[in-house]
Amino acid sequence: MFRKGQTATALLFLAPFLITILVFFFYAFARAIYYSFTDFNLFNDARVIGIKPYLDVLGDSLFQRALANTLVFSILVTVLQTIGSLLMAVALNNKIKGQSFFRSAWYMPSITSSVVITLIFLWLFQRRGVVNYLITQWLTYLPLILTFLGVMALVQVAQVLFERSRRLPAKWFDPALAAMSALIALAVTLGLNVLGVVGARDVQPYDFQYFSDSWLSIGGVRVLSMPLLVVVIMNTFTTIPTLMLFFLAGLQNIPAALYEAADIDGATPAQKLLRVTVPMLRPVTFYVVTISLIGTMQMFDQVAVIGSAAPQETLITLAYYVYTNTFKSGAAPVNMAAAAAIILALIILLMVFLQRRFFVAPEAQ
Amino acid sequence: MKHALLVSLAVLASSAAAQSAIKINGYAGQDNTIYPEMINRFVRPQLRGVTVTYQALQGDYNQGLTTLLASGSAGDLFYLPGETLDTYIATGKVLPLTGQVNTSPFVRSLTNAFTRNGRVYAIPKDFNTLTLVYNKDLFDEAKVAYPNNNDTWSSLTTKLTNLKKALGSDYYGICLAPDYARMGAFAIGAGWKQFGANGKTNLLDPAFQAAFNWYTGLTKDKVGIQPSEISQDWSGGCLGTGKVAVAIEGNWITGFLKDNAPNLKYGTALMPKADRTGKRGNFIYTVGWAVNANSKNRANALKVLNILTGPQVQQYVLEQGIAIPSRTALSNNALFKRNTPEAQNAAAVFAGASDGNVAPYTFGPKGPDWAKPINAALAAALSGQQSAANALRKAQQDMATLQSR
Repeated sequence: MFRKGQTATALLFLAPFLITILVFFFYAFARAIYYSFTDFNLFNDARVIGIKPYLDVLGDSLFQRALANTLVFSILVTVLQTIGSLLMAVALNNKIKGQSFFRSAWYMPSITSSVVITLIFLWLFQRRGVVNYLITQWLTYLPLILTFLGVMALVQVAQVLFERSRRLPAKWFDPALAAMSALIALAVTLGLNVLGVVGARDVQPYDFQYFSDSWLSIGGVRVLSMPLLVVVIMNTFTTIPTLMLFFLAGLQNIPAALYEAADIDGATPAQKLLRVTVPMLRPVTFYVVTISLIGTMQMFDQVAVIGSAAPQETLITLAYYVYTNTFKSGAAPVNMAAAAAIILALIILLMVFLQRRFFVAPEAQ
Repeated sequence: MKHALLVSLAVLASSAAAQSAIKINGYAGQDNTIYPEMINRFVRPQLRGVTVTYQALQGDYNQGLTTLLASGSAGDLFYLPGETLDTYIATGKVLPLTGQVNTSPFVRSLTNAFTRNGRVYAIPKDFNTLTLVYNKDLFDEAKVAYPNNNDTWSSLTTKLTNLKKALGSDYYGICLAPDYARMGAFAIGAGWKQFGANGKTNLLDPAFQAAFNWYTGLTKDKVGIQPSEISQDWSGGCLGTGKVAVAIEGNWITGFLKDNAPNLKYGTALMPKADRTGKRGNFIYTVGWAVNANSKNRANALKVLNILTGPQVQQYVLEQGIAIPSRTALSNNALFKRNTPEAQNAAAVFAGASDGNVAPYTFGPKGPDWAKPINAALAAALSGQQSAANALRKAQQDMATLQSR
């Protein structure tokens, strides 16, 4: 297949990449495996002690927490961002006015540094942050909001029934009627407010601490901590745009004829999405889920930036566990860090393997 | 032959240059401007032919120093924080100074903080202890007596509660960080020992529990608040807002208040006494000068160390208000007797090092991880998420796991 000399030339051109990967990946990986079987603490001459570091790691409650946090985080974020990015891609694939503006605007969170986004989220979710402020405002104005919504619903029902009584085909969510209902509801709410019947309440400032040791538990088992939930929201928000691009590219390759055929058969938009778009995007979905799983399993930066602002147990992930066990003051349990890193690598490999084995479409192989 | 001679001369010259160069690793920030100046002013005239450079480690100092020590590129001299001393001794990279440096001119409790198994590992550079710093205007307005050196936990609580009652919801009595670095001093005042005979920590010790309950109990009726509740990150910041009457801080607060709240009238009292023992507790925060055991230039490193901890430099440090120096001879310095809030605070910090139950602020062989269970418990109890008893029970479990590893 190759002519004489071609292999050498190819190797020569590949050399910079190959050498880098040999030194910084294979050599480093081999060293990590070696250290995970020794008593290395950064300062001593490493001595092989067998699988003790692995037993120490597996018996460490902090590692167990890190593993649980990582798995919960990974699965939750992967599901959320895959569904979210698919829906967003489908929405932005429509021919709407200002399409390029929306595509750019939606992509913005992805180009912003994760450190900056994390700091913004820290600020949003502080005890006296924007989120708590908005919740306080919501609680304060709840009577007015409920009055508005209630009146609007009543007027809408009345209007639809009236239209139907005149044998006109009015839908329950007719936008023109809804606009009229909203205007009437606004006027009624304002009137009631002026008359003093309903008004803003005096409520205590909502005081929830997001970066604290609070957990969502199932059957007494701590599943997801509040700080990690904040990071889930943040990570989903920042990664959806990148993944959306892959889906957008995939959508361009779906033949329009399929949608036309679906239209002729009278398919609803939801049916078109589930029966045409999703199956046709399976190879892209495989790719998206894979990089999403790998990315979330290795999540580190957000946890590192939040640092001691939240209790360690609530946020620790496997990558952060490895980091904290390596960079301590003085002698550090680097053998445990190496063992944890190897376990993390094995879990990722296993997840990708299982996904390839059971979930992937034949087109992707 | 001539060529070989030139080469060997060049090698000799370069090794001589290397031997006459001393690198110091220390903190960034203020120290990064002060120490290059001190080196110019004091070291250079006394040590001709030796180049001394100060290399500040940005970010987490302990992580930075560990990386440098592990890779063999740390300075000949470096700061050794008292709190992480044990973890560095375990590396074998810190030269024991017993017999190499005269330790007798330094405050005994400070050199003790750097002594393990009879060997001194660093010479104290400077130090700090905790004091009660209070806003005089708020106490005047509330018509409550200032905190004083005879206050106990309960009399201080009464004063703070009365102040809060008089001033209303926009003002607070005391700012309490969820940090062992503050709360631990009260436990030590109550007679608690950080490590028992077996080297283990007991957080369910009645003395620790009493201090924990008192400290976290202050948040009742918002007499005490956490800094984060008023968008501050330390209690000095709280005091600077003028809304909080008392902060528990060391001498570092004076510079901050000078720059950030120049019109705030403040006074300083010693830490309150524990009701049980009648003694006040305090921490000594200190950083020492240590010599790299692998230094190729040990003799010169020791000379630089002697100059930087010498009477001249320490006098200068005190006069400039940089820190509280560590030489015993300076305790009677006229500067401590001046009638300024800064000098009064400095005198209280100096007195704090030898009044009541005083312990070095240190983490032991597990390093900073040791304090994490306590800090987590404090955060949970101060914010009202857990009862003090539950928080402490959880902290003790975590502490036992950590120490058994």
